[in-house]
Amino acid sequence: MTEQTVEHENAQNGWRPVILGILCNWCSYAGADLAGSSRLKYPPNVRIVRVPCSGRVNPLYVLKGFQKGFDGVMVLGCHPGDCHYAKGNYYARRRIMLLREFLQSVGIEPERFHFEWVSASEGNRFAEVVAEMTAAIEKIGPFAGVDVTGPQRRGERESVQSEPSASP
Amino acid sequence: MIQTMEQRIREEARKLLESGDVTLVIGWEAGSAPFKTTPVFIESPEDVDRLVWNPACTNNLAVYLPELAKHAKVGIVAKPCDTRSIVTLIQEKQVARENVRVIGLACAGVVDDAALSNAGLRLSEVRALDWDGENLKVSTDSAAKSIPLSEAVKEGCPTCEQHMPVMSDVTVGESNQQSAISDQQSLDSFDDRRAYWAEQFDRCIRCYACRQVCPSCYCSLCFADRNDLKWTNKRMVASEAWMWHMGRAMHLAGRCIGCGECERACPMGLPIMRLNREVARHVEELFGYIPGMDLEEAPVLGRFDPEDKDPNEH
Repeated sequence: MTEQTVEHENAQNGWRPVILGILCNWCSYAGADLAGSSRLKYPPNVRIVRVPCSGRVNPLYVLKGFQKGFDGVMVLGCHPGDCHYAKGNYYARRRIMLLREFLQSVGIEPERFHFEWVSASEGNRFAEVVAEMTAAIEKIGPFAGVDVTGPQRRGERESVQSEPSASP
Repeated sequence: MIQTMEQRIREEARKLLESGDVTLVIGWEAGSAPFKTTPVFIESPEDVDRLVWNPACTNNLAVYLPELAKHAKVGIVAKPCDTRSIVTLIQEKQVARENVRVIGLACAGVVDDAALSNAGLRLSEVRALDWDGENLKVSTDSAAKSIPLSEAVKEGCPTCEQHMPVMSDVTVGESNQQSAISDQQSLDSFDDRRAYWAEQFDRCIRCYACRQVCPSCYCSLCFADRNDLKWTNKRMVASEAWMWHMGRAMHLAGRCIGCGECERACPMGLPIMRLNREVARHVEELFGYIPGMDLEEAPVLGRFDPEDKDPNEH
């Protein structure tokens, strides 16, 4: 399938990327708030989960996102040296950089996992990051999922929809 | 070779028990068939002759240390990979160095039942196993066969670079083996990889044998067993198995020493080591760290370097 076909087919079927964002309370979440209060326009495709610190991010959170069918996951934290808890983001950096490489080994394209530092004053940067990631994922198409059942189109996807799924 | 090493192991175990230095020696004894051994816990010097050493001594005995060496001194017979597990446990403060007496062994590789079958042997006919240079000597009822080691050993062995213990209180045997075959090639495209793992994990029955044999999986409450947060539920589908194996691989990052017991124990023959080797490769590339080599080092993800590779440097 060529890039053009993927984009075209997805747009036709009404698919839009759904991205999980894991943001640290003190910097990146505040930055996202700033983007909001500044009325900056950015794509609505990111679902945000707030954590106290990027160091809190267990690789399981990211893996769970992909298991549930998110097309992409982003982890945003404070710049090195600016962590509210002094060192959390340094531990996160090691762990998340490793996770990023590992995800590629198991078939998750680098565009689908984004890791960056966004400070509380960087409302613009947050909006940019969301726009860039949404565009990148629109190009490569929906995530085919971790199961053998193949690509799941919107409407078939189990847990990313708003209505609860029937199975336990 | 086996005979003299075996005798020395028994001798060392006897000395440890007779001196009262340890209350227990963990080793292997003959199992239910000639190509099998089973872990044994020797408490008295009279029983040391139960200890054996042969290519069927596959179990990584370090798995017993967090429990047994917590409050007592124990002796343990350990292959080089097992000694790396012991180092990891000491680094992570699960076992005190003073509580273990390690009888370290030189090792050329241990067999896997499946590998023996694949080499065309009827397991019921195997009578004895021995190392013979680069080969495995298998004695059956009628004959003695020689199989290249690389075809008969379990998954952790072909890529092993430690043929001598990395730490020990006493060392038995010698090895000048150099070779280690290179790692598997990555699958080509992202989609190939994704599909490959989905297919593999579709066969997982979630028996958790991989977790139970692993010395590094010592958490009193495993993330897979939690009911307050369901990281993975009981549905027998590939996506839940994916979550289990990926979560475990990341939890073992920088801690898995590649003994291959997980894959040997897996009843479904899942390529678990392939996953672990990928993680180990990234750990080495990113942090220059090889697990289980140095008692003085802190675990790699439990520390950081201000100069670590930064995501914004792309």
